[in-house]
Amino acid sequence: MDFLTFLSRIADLSPATTTPTDDISVRRVALTRLGKVGAALLPAVVTALPTPAEAKLLNTTVLDVIKLALTLEYLESEFYTQALALPNAATFFGSTENRTAIQTIATHENQHVALLQRLLTEAGAVVPAKPNFDFTGSKNGAQPALYPDVFTNLDTFLRVAQLLEDAGVRAYKGQVEFLVSDNYLLEAFVRTHSTEARHASHIRTMRRQRGAVVKSWVSPSDAAITTAGTAPDKAYAGEAAVVQYTPGPRAVPFETTLPINVGDPLLSREALLAKVAEAFDEPLDATTATELALLFIY
Amino acid sequence: MSDSAFSFLGRTLRRRSFLRVAGATAASSALVLAGCGSDDTETPTPTTPGTLTFSNDNLGLLNYVYLLEQLEAAFYQKVVSSFPLDFTAADRAAFIDLRDHEVIHRETLKFALGSNAYDANAGTNALVFNFTSLALTSRNEVYAAARTLEDVGVAAYNGVAKLLQVAPDGSHLTYLKLLVKLASVEARHAAFVRDQVQASSFADADVVTATGVLAGLDIVKTPVEVTALIAKYVPVTLVATSLPTI
Repeated sequence: MDFLTFLSRIADLSPATTTPTDDISVRRVALTRLGKVGAALLPAVVTALPTPAEAKLLNTTVLDVIKLALTLEYLESEFYTQALALPNAATFFGSTENRTAIQTIATHENQHVALLQRLLTEAGAVVPAKPNFDFTGSKNGAQPALYPDVFTNLDTFLRVAQLLEDAGVRAYKGQVEFLVSDNYLLEAFVRTHSTEARHASHIRTMRRQRGAVVKSWVSPSDAAITTAGTAPDKAYAGEAAVVQYTPGPRAVPFETTLPINVGDPLLSREALLAKVAEAFDEPLDATTATELALLFIY
Repeated sequence: MSDSAFSFLGRTLRRRSFLRVAGATAASSALVLAGCGSDDTETPTPTTPGTLTFSNDNLGLLNYVYLLEQLEAAFYQKVVSSFPLDFTAADRAAFIDLRDHEVIHRETLKFALGSNAYDANAGTNALVFNFTSLALTSRNEVYAAARTLEDVGVAAYNGVAKLLQVAPDGSHLTYLKLLVKLASVEARHAAFVRDQVQASSFADADVVTATGVLAGLDIVKTPVEVTALIAKYVPVTLVATSLPTI
């Protein structure tokens, strides 16, 4: 494409009205938005944030968001690909149905990788190479493994899968606010995010069917799969929040005025707040998401 | 931190009668918002259903999501009030969770809307949803009905995020953050109930795009599409054409 044609195409763009329906939309958005800082709205936003800690992310660009998402999708894609390539893959998953489910998830993760790579390519950005992954968490033997039997014990495999999927949902959720300037990307990320939530739910259902104490949604009643204070536990830190905000900010008065205790018999305060925690998935910031990914990258 | 921006927005919208219900039945006539201005001259007639028109702004979108959460909560409450005979203990526990989550979502949105909730002054005459089109006497029927409702809910949430209006006061970010916190829980619900109807159908091609440049992306529907799908459950006519579309 010659430069003048390129310019005329750029001039013809109207990214705010695009929807993720065709390849042209991908190109338009990618070309125009990657370098844009999500900060135009942010001075006023700071006053509306419930926690000042989030201010550190104000310089996040769309490019940063896509690169983080690609890292996480590389991670998930490689995890399932390695498992499906095991010499004993026919028996490792315990049933054909389980193996098919893992294949379904792997296919989606590969598709997410392809989408993000194409966004970068069509924007003229460099596509980061896929890192080296060690899902035992030993950094290729450089340190004691976190999950030494991840590819020999199905329960360990599913625990790591749950960790990756739950964290993936949270990581996507933490990034959508930086995409408000771009309807195409915002919708694409929200839709990817709910695909990941379906995966997480299914992995949890699989684990429950194998005897684990875990719901299909994140619950304070889940048996922990991480140890408090360790790096992997950051995947769940803060997930049990029972305070939510509406603009103002105004905290939603779950404990006082809202008629949410509708069970028969009525729930105890603790049980009711556990339901509140279940009813909301919480975001993860980019720093924490990256830290979690690095557990498996060497 | 001040909530003046929110209050200002609310006052403005009330003056504009942001949402009207031209009502007919005793229930729906009670839905007319307090604050609908003197320009609200529709004459209630006893034979036609009311109309619920969502306004072209964030409060219209939130009322739309609020209606969906009311529908889901009512559905699960109906099931929990009369479980099918072949429901297991695990099914019962799951449906009580689902009911509780949807009630919490419903009340969160109602709180967020405050006096801008379309039924803020409905009192005890809240919408009574009509589930007679659903067979709910067996486990499979109940899960299949839940699957239908949850998939619609996920598609609606997937479509609503980009429609939230960008406001310089940042309130759209708070709404966006709140709605995506609910969206992934709805997707977890949908995957769970799908798996109960048909094993490992949690992310089949009818809900996750299978081919093309958008492969791997979850289902999305516009408010107009969603309101058409749920119309048979709702005792008033839903008008979503005023909602933002981009």
